[in-house]
Amino acid sequence: MSRTLDRSLDRRTALRLFAASGLGLGLAACAGPGGGSTASGAKSSALATSGTVKGTVSFAHWRAEDKAVIAQLIKAFVKKYPDAGVEQDISPSADYQTTALRRIQGSKTGDLFTAFRGAQFEQIVKAGVYSPLTGTDVIAKYQASLITPGAQKGVQYGLPYQLVFNMPLANTDALDKAGHTSAPTDWDSTLQLLDDLKSKGYTPIAWPGGDTANAGQLLNTMVMNNAPSDDMFTKIESGEYKVTDDWFLTTLKQYAQLTPYFQARATGSTTDAVTQLFAEGKAGLLAVGSFQMAGVRALGAKFPFDLVAPITTTAAKAKYQGVFNTTFILGVNSASDVQPAAYAFLEFLSAPANAGTYANGTGQHVTVEGVDYTNTDLKAVAPWLTKKTQLAPRFQFLNLDIRTAVENAAVAVVGGKKPAQAAEEAQRVIDQKRS
Amino acid sequence: MSSTRSGRSGRRARALWFFPVPALALYLFFFAYPTLQAFQYALTDWDGYSATYHNVGLHNLTRLATADDTFRNAAENNLKLTVVVVLAQTALALGLALYLVRTTRASTLLRAVFFLPTVLSSVSVAFVWRFVYDPDGGLLNSALRAVGLGGWQSVYLGNPNTAVFWLALTQVWFHAGQMMVVFIAGLQAIPRELYEAAELDGAGRWSRFRYVTWPLVAPATGIVLAYTTVQSFKAFDLVLGLGGNPPGPALDILSTRVYTTFSNNQFGYAAAQSLVFMALIALLTWVQRRAIRRATA
Repeated sequence: MSRTLDRSLDRRTALRLFAASGLGLGLAACAGPGGGSTASGAKSSALATSGTVKGTVSFAHWRAEDKAVIAQLIKAFVKKYPDAGVEQDISPSADYQTTALRRIQGSKTGDLFTAFRGAQFEQIVKAGVYSPLTGTDVIAKYQASLITPGAQKGVQYGLPYQLVFNMPLANTDALDKAGHTSAPTDWDSTLQLLDDLKSKGYTPIAWPGGDTANAGQLLNTMVMNNAPSDDMFTKIESGEYKVTDDWFLTTLKQYAQLTPYFQARATGSTTDAVTQLFAEGKAGLLAVGSFQMAGVRALGAKFPFDLVAPITTTAAKAKYQGVFNTTFILGVNSASDVQPAAYAFLEFLSAPANAGTYANGTGQHVTVEGVDYTNTDLKAVAPWLTKKTQLAPRFQFLNLDIRTAVENAAVAVVGGKKPAQAAEEAQRVIDQKRS
Repeated sequence: MSSTRSGRSGRRARALWFFPVPALALYLFFFAYPTLQAFQYALTDWDGYSATYHNVGLHNLTRLATADDTFRNAAENNLKLTVVVVLAQTALALGLALYLVRTTRASTLLRAVFFLPTVLSSVSVAFVWRFVYDPDGGLLNSALRAVGLGGWQSVYLGNPNTAVFWLALTQVWFHAGQMMVVFIAGLQAIPRELYEAAELDGAGRWSRFRYVTWPLVAPATGIVLAYTTVQSFKAFDLVLGLGGNPPGPALDILSTRVYTTFSNNQFGYAAAQSLVFMALIALLTWVQRRAIRRATA
């Protein structure tokens, strides 16, 4: 045995072996991309909704703050289906946004998974990871008008679960003290509200200008009435609109007008810091979104909430009062080995009673029909469910660099840059990224 | 008898060729193969998940050389970061090492204190320094207000002109202790007789440093410079922790730029960026090695 080994491993043979393996690797490397496990199978397969509900479902999502409530729901699910189990696979939201597709594609992670509206949803559809839900019973449990962000070309790929309002959260005690019991209806009354808050010693708007994930939330409401069309950011990406156009320059000039109403040195502030400022009752508005309500309560805030959007036009020209978004798009993985169990868990989450447990426990509205909201904060902002709101435009961006360039123009203006210069710099990046 | 022995040792020598095979196989598969693949991807417009792609030749490379301000901005930020970190961290680490080279109880304790940040995770460091830099209730501005220097308060990471230097400060705090240990090892290897001889020749403190310490600590300096340079280029998790994901233009460096391009599902273009990134590190390390060789010659 050892003799054979010795004979076959003289120096020349070993060198040939190394050279051959190196050449083989070189050729393999040159074989070209796209030959991965599921990359070639980019067509969504039919969903197995029937079958025995058994096996462990991996549920991939980004809401670490919802972990306990989801665990409570999983417990009830397992009681109903003793042969099944669910494990939560949670990543921070920013990481989930950038890495989820590669983690759920053809792997054991994310039998049931979530997606952000916009770029991520589009990419996951294109990669064929969704098992389409069209024709399944679960769709009827949702409000039809709210689940369109989970559909593409008439096919329902996923079901947006959360309904959030990406507009400033208001401390109504502070607003009352400032003498404002109703929301502003135009730009002048918006500035008046901020002036009155300031005169009462409040920071009128707590804005996380140093946090790329949340600094852009304010842009949703700043452009909702200024833009000439509802798909303004899609048109910026396509080149039909430019950020040097009048409507966007007006928006940037209005950011400059807002600057004295933000907390000092706002371009460096993090979401945690401004949430703390707001929770302590020192700020009138928190320019993030309704999804921050639970976080503010966790910091001990006792005051009541409402939502207040800056109205950037005259009252007559204002089409919208605010902005909403449906996200946390639930989908079943086409590569899942436990599809019946994953679908059963989706159905379970979609039952009004369970969706209510989720909503009331996490402080998020949901898109499921017939949910009874018992959470005080959800009840307080419930009137916004029927107000004139626009689907959050920020999530129209499909290219992260273009989104960053546009949002950073607003941050730069607050930092002191001239609106025209900030717009020109952003447009230059947009033009390069579009090519 | 002797021919049997030489036959055995010859066979043993030949068998030795087999020993590097596992390591070599791992190297080829996990390093050489992905590197070769990066070259291939860089010539395509592959999005990372589709079965199809187009060969685009050198388009990705010409695009990033001529029409990508975000890449140029990241490269500029990275160079600023590298220059500041390499100079400040090397000087600080060498200074600390010179003071703590003698093994006493106090110096052992201080070495541990200065080394401590190195054992922390980048995420923890980023979290701590986000609090330090926060312009509202952050440690730096609070301290300035407390001592009556409120006028010196800054926006730190929120100022696009200075953000990268605050990042550099964090990086220096994070790794100076680690480099101090490398310098201490280098300093302890210098024979004491050389200092004694220099002293007898009338050399002062500066001359002893210039003509004994500096040339003989050169190998350690070389390691520190090369390592610090690579570290500055790969300060990925620290940047994401401090600047968010994706970071704004003020904190975007080459590693985060490549990551953002991958996140945009432009794998081909990101691969081209990675190659330029790799070439830049190699070039800088080579320049440094030459400079050290000249300085200590």
